Amino acid sequence: MDLRRRTLLGAAAASAGAGLLDPRIALGADKTLTIALPNNPTTFDPIVTSNHDAMAISNLIFENLLDVDVNGDPVPSLAYKMPTISDDALTFTFDLRDDVAFQNGAKFSAEDVKYSYDYMLNPANKSIRRAQFAPIEEVVVESPTRVVFKMRQPFRPWLVYMTKFMGVFPKGSREAEGNAYFANTPIGVGTGAGIFVDWQKDSQITMKKNPNYWRKGVPAWDRLVAKIVPEDATRVAYLMTKQAQIISAPPPRDFQRLKTEPGIVAGSKVAVGGMWFMQINNKRPPFDDVNFRKAVACGVDRKKIAQDVFYGLMDASATPAATVTSYYNADADAAVSYNPEKARAYLAKSRYAAKPEFEMLVLSLPYLFDQRDAAVVIQSQLAAVGITMKITLMEQPQVLAHAMAGTQVASMMPLMGPSDPTFLIKINYTPGQIMSKATGYSNPALDAAITESYKYTDSKRLDPILKQIQSILVEDSPNVWLGFVVTANAWRSEVKDFKPNAGLTMEVRDVTFG
Amino acid sequence: MWAIANRLVGSLAVLWIVSVVLFALVHAIPVSPARVVLGADASDSDITEFDHDHGLDRPLIEQYARWIGGVSHGDFGVSVIDGAVISREIGQTLPVTLELVVLAFILALGLAIPLGIVSAFYEDGWIDHLARGLAVLGVSIPSFWLGLMLIAWGAVGLGWFPAGGYEPISEGLGPHLRSLVLPAVALGIYYVAIISRMTRSSVGEVLAADHVRVSRAMGLGRRRILVYVLKCALSPVVTVAAMSFGYMFGWALIVEQVFNIAGMSHALLNAVMRRDYLAIEDVVLVFTALFLAANLAADILYRVLDPRLAE
Repeated sequence: MDLRRRTLLGAAAASAGAGLLDPRIALGADKTLTIALPNNPTTFDPIVTSNHDAMAISNLIFENLLDVDVNGDPVPSLAYKMPTISDDALTFTFDLRDDVAFQNGAKFSAEDVKYSYDYMLNPANKSIRRAQFAPIEEVVVESPTRVVFKMRQPFRPWLVYMTKFMGVFPKGSREAEGNAYFANTPIGVGTGAGIFVDWQKDSQITMKKNPNYWRKGVPAWDRLVAKIVPEDATRVAYLMTKQAQIISAPPPRDFQRLKTEPGIVAGSKVAVGGMWFMQINNKRPPFDDVNFRKAVACGVDRKKIAQDVFYGLMDASATPAATVTSYYNADADAAVSYNPEKARAYLAKSRYAAKPEFEMLVLSLPYLFDQRDAAVVIQSQLAAVGITMKITLMEQPQVLAHAMAGTQVASMMPLMGPSDPTFLIKINYTPGQIMSKATGYSNPALDAAITESYKYTDSKRLDPILKQIQSILVEDSPNVWLGFVVTANAWRSEVKDFKPNAGLTMEVRDVTFG
Repeated sequence: MWAIANRLVGSLAVLWIVSVVLFALVHAIPVSPARVVLGADASDSDITEFDHDHGLDRPLIEQYARWIGGVSHGDFGVSVIDGAVISREIGQTLPVTLELVVLAFILALGLAIPLGIVSAFYEDGWIDHLARGLAVLGVSIPSFWLGLMLIAWGAVGLGWFPAGGYEPISEGLGPHLRSLVLPAVALGIYYVAIISRMTRSSVGEVLAADHVRVSRAMGLGRRRILVYVLKCALSPVVTVAAMSFGYMFGWALIVEQVFNIAGMSHALLNAVMRRDYLAIEDVVLVFTALFLAANLAADILYRVLDPRLAE
């Protein structure tokens, strides 16, 4: 055989090419679920985490007495039923499941619940969520399966806050492991469906199934790999090439197209805790005039923006309530929704009719979604009614710093909180809160209505108060509400039982494979 | 030898100046990293407490002295955002970026130098026009867009390559190389254009020189002439190539982002987004050191290629 040098080189090149260009892109092994998230976690510790994508992971490790369903409504979790609430709404009694164990094998009991809450509430432990649970006066263990929370005043929202801002960990675990352990390698310290395995910073997080999980048959996956893919287009490509089976936050412009792609399913859900609004300063001109504020409110065509800019991935609302909620006040919405004639009339009545202009701070980098195009559309809509809006791009931390110091005139802000209906209203429109200076607004009638709402958990008594709160706010129009964020996900059709979650985080505990 | 020593001292001085400017710029950012860590609803007192705990409220000179003192001993400090040991992070991400840059560099040299030589030998021929057209395209196409197009073509369309991510060599040579091909092309194509034009110009100049005409007249073969031509023509190409190698670390920032490669450029971008002061300072300082090292290597190579400089 005449093996010449060129023949050998050709053969070598062909075999190298065959290895290199193997068209089979490796999928995970069987029962490995791979998801792609846009943001890097900074910690998995439930008492200090503030990143929604991190919560998708930490919520698999840590659980709480209650959880929220895909609609954002609280449902029992480590408590086997919803709590019994005293008539004065000051005592919450939880009966706990007795078939739960931590991932380290220790049996879960009421002592662990008390330890976890006491730890989080202790100022020395620097939980950034302590303020949200401040009304808790005392946690009392009545038996291994019964724990009682005594409150300083009625405070309904904490039932939802616990699902996002808190987790239960074993008694003594903080002293034994240290806070860094909870932040970086929380192995064995939760009761959840997934056991932490590995975190490659900026790259991926790996978890494995908790074989002793108390919900039998869950999860269906043996291994979960969460890849961090910040670039929108790359995340979509991961889905198309089967490198990921579920992705979060596909870009709105691709969302409709993804729905028609074979083998891909896409869905969305309004995040009732994700408000997008113009945070305007009522202490500074021109927003110290209610007529000017209403002129701006009536000058913005929210539905057009939701459709044309966000391709339907925005729930347009002129009140601080999503239109999909039972407490949405349509009459209040109508009072300040898009109406150019009304906008011009309010402007004519305002003190700033001669020089109707203001500066709007807009986030230069996307947070939750990219609002820059929407800002330009709003600018043109306001120009059509005679109002000049100057756009200044600024990074989110700087915008927040301005807003919290009350030094901004207006900023376009998406804020994401728990699905409780009063969380964002409280922090923005009542005195002594972190965003109080940003708006510079207060109204005793509003404070009273919020406090009254804290007494109730049932929609029958709660909804009328929440509608009244919207009426009060719309009447004063301290801010211009634009809409609510929509959670969007896309996933491969072999993934079953996955639903987008109103809490914005990705819930993959119950996912099965087709 | 003295010249090299001089350059080395000069490089260290540049590195020190960069460290001062870098530190000043990073600390001129008006917002504390606490805002990123603690979230939108953290209070002013939470922010103050965070700054105190992490030494961010100390005088700037003290913070600089502590940082540069640590770096000079190989201790890059700990991230204020997640408490990660930064030297370990650099140790994990630098090899990834280095491999990507070296691959892109080899690709750039491997395509650009032959293309430049052929263009010079066939000046104004069709191959020269084609190379010129490719060069214009190469410098005009943004690597961000090119990266996305390569993903659409090679990953989504043909399925030959992954859409992103870095497979370590422990996962096998095939997957490892597959994960680097598209990013290396996206990173290297701009420099193919730059280096090929420089090679063409330099080779063309030498081809027109008297000694080459004499060599031809004496009947020397094309191969022998090519060797002589390259020895004379490669000096400016080496300089451009060394500069390109340094610049590639900067462009890798975009390529690593598009292809989701967890290299050091990707880490730098994340550090910027998260206001991770120390990580930003450390990574940029390492990149500066690499850039200076590439230039120093070019200086040495320059002297090897042109002994007159050594004299």
